Amino acid sequence: MQIGFYFDQTRCTGCSACAVACKDWHDLPAGPENWMRVQYTEKGKFPNVFVSYLVVPCYQCLDPTCIPACPTRAISKRDEDGIVVVDGRACLGNKECDVKCLKACPYNAPQFGPELGAKMSKCNFCLDRWSDNKLPVCVEACPTRALDGGPLDELKAKYGDIRAAEGFAYSNRTKPAIVLKLKRPKTTR
Amino acid sequence: MSFENSSMTIGETRIIRTTSAFDCGGRCPLRLHVKDGRIIRVEGDDAQEPEQLRACLRCRAYRQEIYHPDRLKYPMKRVGSKGEGKFERISWDEALETIAGELKRVKGTYGNHSILLIGGGGYLGALHEGERALARLLSMFGGYTTNYGNVSSEGAVWAVMTQYGSVMVGHSREDLLNSKLIIMWGWDPARMISGTNTLYHLIRAKEAGARIICIDPRYHDSAVVLADQWIPIRPGTDTAMMVSMAYVMIKEGLHDQKFLDKYTVGFDKFRDYVLGVEDGVEKTPAWAEAITGVPALTIERLAREYATTKPAALMDCQGPARSAMGEQYNRCAMTLTAMTGNVGRRGGSAAGGLMGIPIGHMFRSSAIPGIRNPVEAGAPSVRGTLDLRLRLVRRVHTNRIFDAILKGKAGGYPADIKLAWCACGNPLNQFGNTNKGAQALRSLEFFIVSELFVTPTARFADILLPVTSAAERNDLTRPWPSGPYFTCVNKAIEPLGECKSDFDIACDLAEKLGFKDYNTLSEEEWLKSFVLNNPETSQHIKDYDKFRREGVHRVKLAEPIVAFKEQIEDLEKNPFTTPSGKIEIFSQRVADLKDPLCPPIPKYVSTWEDRNDPLIEKYPLQLLSPHPKNRVHSHLYKADWLREVEPHRAWINPVDAEPRGIKDGDEIYVFNDRGKLAIRAWLTERIMPGVICIFEGAWYNPDKEGIDRGGCANVLTNDAYSPGGASALNTALVQVSKA
Repeated sequence: MQIGFYFDQTRCTGCSACAVACKDWHDLPAGPENWMRVQYTEKGKFPNVFVSYLVVPCYQCLDPTCIPACPTRAISKRDEDGIVVVDGRACLGNKECDVKCLKACPYNAPQFGPELGAKMSKCNFCLDRWSDNKLPVCVEACPTRALDGGPLDELKAKYGDIRAAEGFAYSNRTKPAIVLKLKRPKTTR
Repeated sequence: MSFENSSMTIGETRIIRTTSAFDCGGRCPLRLHVKDGRIIRVEGDDAQEPEQLRACLRCRAYRQEIYHPDRLKYPMKRVGSKGEGKFERISWDEALETIAGELKRVKGTYGNHSILLIGGGGYLGALHEGERALARLLSMFGGYTTNYGNVSSEGAVWAVMTQYGSVMVGHSREDLLNSKLIIMWGWDPARMISGTNTLYHLIRAKEAGARIICIDPRYHDSAVVLADQWIPIRPGTDTAMMVSMAYVMIKEGLHDQKFLDKYTVGFDKFRDYVLGVEDGVEKTPAWAEAITGVPALTIERLAREYATTKPAALMDCQGPARSAMGEQYNRCAMTLTAMTGNVGRRGGSAAGGLMGIPIGHMFRSSAIPGIRNPVEAGAPSVRGTLDLRLRLVRRVHTNRIFDAILKGKAGGYPADIKLAWCACGNPLNQFGNTNKGAQALRSLEFFIVSELFVTPTARFADILLPVTSAAERNDLTRPWPSGPYFTCVNKAIEPLGECKSDFDIACDLAEKLGFKDYNTLSEEEWLKSFVLNNPETSQHIKDYDKFRREGVHRVKLAEPIVAFKEQIEDLEKNPFTTPSGKIEIFSQRVADLKDPLCPPIPKYVSTWEDRNDPLIEKYPLQLLSPHPKNRVHSHLYKADWLREVEPHRAWINPVDAEPRGIKDGDEIYVFNDRGKLAIRAWLTERIMPGVICIFEGAWYNPDKEGIDRGGCANVLTNDAYSPGGASALNTALVQVSKA
């Protein structure tokens, strides 16, 4: 089985409740270690403006390129649910391996703290919650219910298999486990 | 944290069901995870949809505020100069002895009127709220002077009391799904949470086919997800556009004359004004275009669309009313809802900006019993009055507090203020003209502040008292005006350091002052009595223990609450609570005030510091200071998780930035005659040229030259108010330069 995310871009206000809830649940300090990021796009000229947001957790790719990139095999993909996890003890840290996982990831999902030698950490689909039959905390935190999570097949059946959103490029190489609802730029006001 | 250690034994963790008590338009059930006496996580409501009340990012960062290293944990006394922020720890006994001594000294030397109590919305609970606790105590002590008016909503309150005689002007939010057209006029619920889930209901309404139009100088985050059309408008000119919409409706016969005849008084006078019979000026869309910057054709189309789409919800709010003549915006919006017959009907709206519904409304909360304030004895009765002057005989307008401290009776104020006590508020930061405020606070003989942090206001204190957060208290809370539900605060952790609640502080001081009957009940007895004796909660909450345990009591509605439904269904039996019993488009009570800036029918009035003011040559940009998304006003400012998701920046259009040599991310100065602040520029096409936006609530932090490095918008705002009482904080002209 492969878990995945659903993101309805038409509902996202960029509030970042997902990102704050993620930091709270995983007890991450303010700073560069952001398991969930909210990306901003603005196009056009006043008053014909287009704005969209995109959530960027780890998309738990079907073919994660971070795994072969890691010199110590610290990253693995779980058979039972496809969640991509990292063993912090095996990670060499950002200095010694020069963040090969981050360079291999098209979505910049691997995260490092500010300190020299920081070990990689990243979104793990709230594995502890998932094991407890709960959705990731970002999904439950979204005030506009723009996020969902669960078995990817079920998400596809429920929401369709849309792989496009503004600011998002589906990687055929890594195959991110996410389906989306695209927000289309308006052509005219 | 890596995967190996991310699991958690739930057995060791207690879950406390509670809410925050912020002055927030949402009130969200929270589940605090407590381990070893410490909150380690925050989860939201776990009720099934559609009942689930989902918290926003602010409460998600709740524990970062509670445990912030800068939390004030002990009583302090000032050791540096006033405003310097240098303090030394003292005992509670010393703090309370000092306060008791100063209260007695000021009372003896100057009289009770020289004691000023400044409250605020920093904590909205029934029992432990500072302003009420201190009001009771200071009344026993012989009285005090205080402020009148809410810095946020006073314009809207005056407007609805004029037009409808009621503040219950809202619909329960799911009724938005019955609207075919929703006009969001100056309203951004993505930031200013006007009821938990309100934005979600708007999204559902849009997805169900409602057309949504946003009118605002900014393409805000609500517009990003909702707007089928964005109509940018110059700040302070909303009323002109509304008046010209009325012109189009009248000229084209689109208004609902039957509704107006039956339910309103004074439409003929409004019509005469709109058509120019009264003053020779026809309020055409072209007239409005010149004022508002909105193309005449856009106004015409909107007028037709609003008049012919039924039902339609015109949703004004409080932001544009926080301006000079701000009351007129709400009054005119209400008049349009009557002209289109949308009052009292499902999917419609009565406007009025307050959006309150009568179940769970905070105005109907129980509270510590008040005692008549002896200082206000003999003052004229203000019950139901629209005459602000009567309210200011013994009180000071909220936005004039600093001026009153500086000028006293000689300046026409009711008292010479010598001692002030500020609880649950950060007025220096949140009221107009912060630099004047700093001067005023420095001039006080004695200043007491009860606080969680050394806020910009608290820096001026002589004595600082550390208060508990809502996580350290038991109390009852309410969902602002937006029920229909009731909530409570359950104590999750022991007070940090030597923190006490505002009520407990008042109790301890009462003992020092010898008032034995200040408090006669235990906390639990108070809370229980509040629930059992309040006419609303006693009706809805049958099981007190269950309510406390669950932290929330939801009221199931058979059908949506619709403001004034009863009046529209049967006006004879249920008249409006106005003198005429009808909706007062013309108000005789206002006419009797004989104030040209407070017309008896809604009118567009050009004001100070608008685009007609010659001052615009010197200060060519209009400043907006809306509610931030990552704070509750100045509350939660310290939470780093909230700061990093949206750095404090000024929105400026490239059209205004580029000629000034300003690039995105540059530090800029924003200034006028009142002050100067430094902030980063955010260049965006989402704000109309000629307007700059700085979200209120960032903490004032002046450097040696007096430049505010914190980016506190009120350094630039005016400490003025409108004739209806609105604090004119969105009426300010500024200039910008590269730092």
